Amino acid sequence: MKNIFTQISDKLFHRVSKGEPSSFAVLFERFQEILDINNQILELIAKANDTLGGDYIFDRQHVHTMSLEISNRVEKLIFTLDSIAPKKYRDLHRAFQRIRAAIEGDLAGRFTCPVADFVIPYRNINRNLVEAVGGKNAFLAEVAANLDLKIPAGFAITTGAYLEFIKSNDLEPKISTILQSWHQEKIDVAAASAEIRKLIINGKLPAKLEKDLNRALEQLAGKRSLKKIYLAVRSSAFGEDGERTFAGQYTTILNVQATELAKTYLQILADTYGEKAMLYRRTIGFDEGEVAMAVACQEMIDSKVSGVLYTMDPSHPEQHKMMLSATWGLGGPLVSGRANADSFAISRSTPHKITAVNLVHKKKALTLLKNGGTKEHPVSGDRQDTACLDNIQIQKIAATGLLIEKYFKYPQDIEFTINQEGELVLLQARRLAIAAPPKIKPGALAKLTRNYPVLLRDQGETAQKGVGSGPVFLMSKEEDLRHFPVGSILVARHASPLLAKVLRGAAGIITDVGSTTGHLATIAREFRVPCLLNTGQATKLLQHGQAITIDTEEKIIYQGIVKELEEYALTEDDLAETEEYRLLRRVLRKIEPLNLLDPADKNFAPRSCHTFHDITRFVHEKAVNELIDHNYYQNHDHRSAAGKLDWPIPIDLIMIDIGGGLKTKNKEGLIKHSDIASVPMLAMLEGLAHPKAWNNEPMSVDVGSFMSSLTRTFSPELAAPEHVGRNLAVVSDCYANVSLRLGYHFTMIDTYLTDNINDNYAYFRFFGGVTDSCRRARRAQFLGQVLASQDFRVETHDDLVVARVKKLDKTGLRKRLYLLGLLIGFTRQLDVKMVSDQSINEYITQLNSLMEENHDR
Amino acid sequence: MTDKAQTTILILDDEPIVSKRLKPSLEKKGYEVETFTVSIDAMKRVREKNFDIVITDLKMEGVDGMQFLTEVKSRSPETEVIVITGFATMETAKESFRKGVFDFLAKPFKLGEIADVISRAEKKKQG
Repeated sequence: MKNIFTQISDKLFHRVSKGEPSSFAVLFERFQEILDINNQILELIAKANDTLGGDYIFDRQHVHTMSLEISNRVEKLIFTLDSIAPKKYRDLHRAFQRIRAAIEGDLAGRFTCPVADFVIPYRNINRNLVEAVGGKNAFLAEVAANLDLKIPAGFAITTGAYLEFIKSNDLEPKISTILQSWHQEKIDVAAASAEIRKLIINGKLPAKLEKDLNRALEQLAGKRSLKKIYLAVRSSAFGEDGERTFAGQYTTILNVQATELAKTYLQILADTYGEKAMLYRRTIGFDEGEVAMAVACQEMIDSKVSGVLYTMDPSHPEQHKMMLSATWGLGGPLVSGRANADSFAISRSTPHKITAVNLVHKKKALTLLKNGGTKEHPVSGDRQDTACLDNIQIQKIAATGLLIEKYFKYPQDIEFTINQEGELVLLQARRLAIAAPPKIKPGALAKLTRNYPVLLRDQGETAQKGVGSGPVFLMSKEEDLRHFPVGSILVARHASPLLAKVLRGAAGIITDVGSTTGHLATIAREFRVPCLLNTGQATKLLQHGQAITIDTEEKIIYQGIVKELEEYALTEDDLAETEEYRLLRRVLRKIEPLNLLDPADKNFAPRSCHTFHDITRFVHEKAVNELIDHNYYQNHDHRSAAGKLDWPIPIDLIMIDIGGGLKTKNKEGLIKHSDIASVPMLAMLEGLAHPKAWNNEPMSVDVGSFMSSLTRTFSPELAAPEHVGRNLAVVSDCYANVSLRLGYHFTMIDTYLTDNINDNYAYFRFFGGVTDSCRRARRAQFLGQVLASQDFRVETHDDLVVARVKKLDKTGLRKRLYLLGLLIGFTRQLDVKMVSDQSINEYITQLNSLMEENHDR
Repeated sequence: MTDKAQTTILILDDEPIVSKRLKPSLEKKGYEVETFTVSIDAMKRVREKNFDIVITDLKMEGVDGMQFLTEVKSRSPETEVIVITGFATMETAKESFRKGVFDFLAKPFKLGEIADVISRAEKKKQG
């Protein structure tokens, strides 16, 4: 691409300037450079995302190299923009440095909070925010949002709030000094702990945090008085529950009156430096620089019974049983091992048979005090020796536990409570550490599984490796998905992005058709759902309801539940939890997401750039603007003519001629069909102007149902033409470079068309930006298939489509350019209509018939 | 894999993730795998035992990969050596071919890719 640009640039401007420097020549060259770097960055990002799939083996060095490659290009991009718009975008450098520093921090193992918020309500939390809200908050909120389980109402105080507290009180150097004295054994752990705790307790909350806390409490209280709101305030450290357990190292304070929250918050922070926690961190080699405490604030629940469920016996995973213990009242004494509790062993298979019961004498129970705090009360005589859970409750808890396990794909350690109304409420769901070394050695596995009947072997492609077992859910139509039970294995004809709706709860996904670089594959990787695509025949081979086990790494589908594999998968060292994967994921979070969407929005500015992708997007938009401003509105350069396209198509297109692209320049600056001499531009415009490509007939589809599945609140496809943005074409007689932004689709075409077949090429890049993921991926699929059928070499990553074709004769390339024009118009209105995967084929047929029409003319 | 003698593989890479990823995956396929992150230790081990296949990185602290594979080949010429390396050392990787290396792979590589190379190496050994 780079070579082509430089070559073409030389050719073009030789003609334009004949050796004398042309300001536009320079400007355009830089512009092309920006486009080139832009493409490189998008492709590198897509590649880095693929690496997360579990199929690649990479090391830390690779993460460093990858970040550096992207970072260098982004910096170059900014400098190139500077060169065409000197001093105009200084803030961009600051944004770049901010993001690069955060990434370097990640690479160096320093902790940074990824969001600016100090307080986040549970309804806005998901597991991606784990660095901001800690494991406890993140996993609990994720479960509530996706599995329809009850959790306490509440909010999280972020690690960012902690860091700000430390910073505003200038505590870091002080704590550092104390820790150093301890490490050098000048003082003992008790003294070090006491000193640090005192510093924290006497610290002052930042004013913004205080304000945010009050607002969050008021929202929680609604119409109730704050004095009537009582909270459970729990530590939720980053690193807790996800990577290392830290179980029991940090503090929970129960039944705190809302008005006392600020004080309690400081106490929890201080307890981060409790003796036990400090020693624990030293033992496991946890860097003190990584200590960043988030806190969970949950509305207090008056518990009838509380308990803990392990979905697996950590010492004997091979026994396929769950362990449940429970006691009357609050769970505190049980969790900390102070109380006697009833215990039950339950089979992991349905129906969850209770295989062992141990009832104990329960003399006391921890209960809430009316004005805050807790107290142990005697249990009434008749309840002292009866089981605190009945069979129905046990069944429900067991099923819930397995559901959560299926969802997170790890054995779970779950804390729950049953409120006075008898409802099951989750208090914590975290990964259960399996203490026993895996009983099954991988080598033995090949032998153990040999006796299970194999339904399919060595077919398809692995999008996410892993093992899953459960009943087959054979999807024939989209509506079926509404009834998809968590823990089933989804089997479908196409790897349609629609499946993403239920993907998180699936034990596995198998399709007949589909690609590992598609959108579904990306989501399967994100949620670690074993995913086997392109098997050709799974829907014919498997029956609805049939129990199967898939091992996507080996590409085998077994009949029945292979317990050995299931156990192996649940106890295996998990690669998503290795340091390298976490690092790549963390770094990518600062590179990949696109937040800058609407150039008309006041937030479309350097200060709102949170990722390298944002910067890339910003620079591209501004570069197009600079070119337009320079040549259309100011028209400094007498050698390049510019004008606005005057055609009956709803595109505002500015055209700049750099040599023989326009026959005449109209005085009003309007360019008519007859004014254009650029052969490639004409071919494209003819396609673009095809009346059916802009068919704006009323849409018959159920737009509402699409909207409901949108995570974003607007629909770019429905944007009015005046909002479709500025579009630019730079043309000569044989060259065209077109940048279009229609709604939120970004299209770039670069083409050169002469009588010399060896010089001819067309490059097409399409990026969807933002819209509902289903339609986005269908659109990419549609584009990919059409372009491939027309001899383009096509690469798709998610919804980035890059297509190249070269060395076609004049007639051949003109036909392709006509197609590109047609596609641009056609695609803009398309995804609103793409209601199903079948529609892709329908539209391909429609488009081909439009093409043939042209051919016949 | 049948019950006849398992193919033995030694993996040497100073970044633990490589062994951590490769070992279970290869064991699952029925290979017998030993892993090392320190080249001296791996060197000691190949002096005790001949492996069917050796997988090694090139750039490491201490004894470097080239020295290691030279030693392996001179002790046990029938051992097939597979080199895994970052792009930076690709030139060296080419040089390693002259020392009789079976194949090399650039990091990052896919599990399937290395599995293919291993099974080709196995076939070559079985003649």
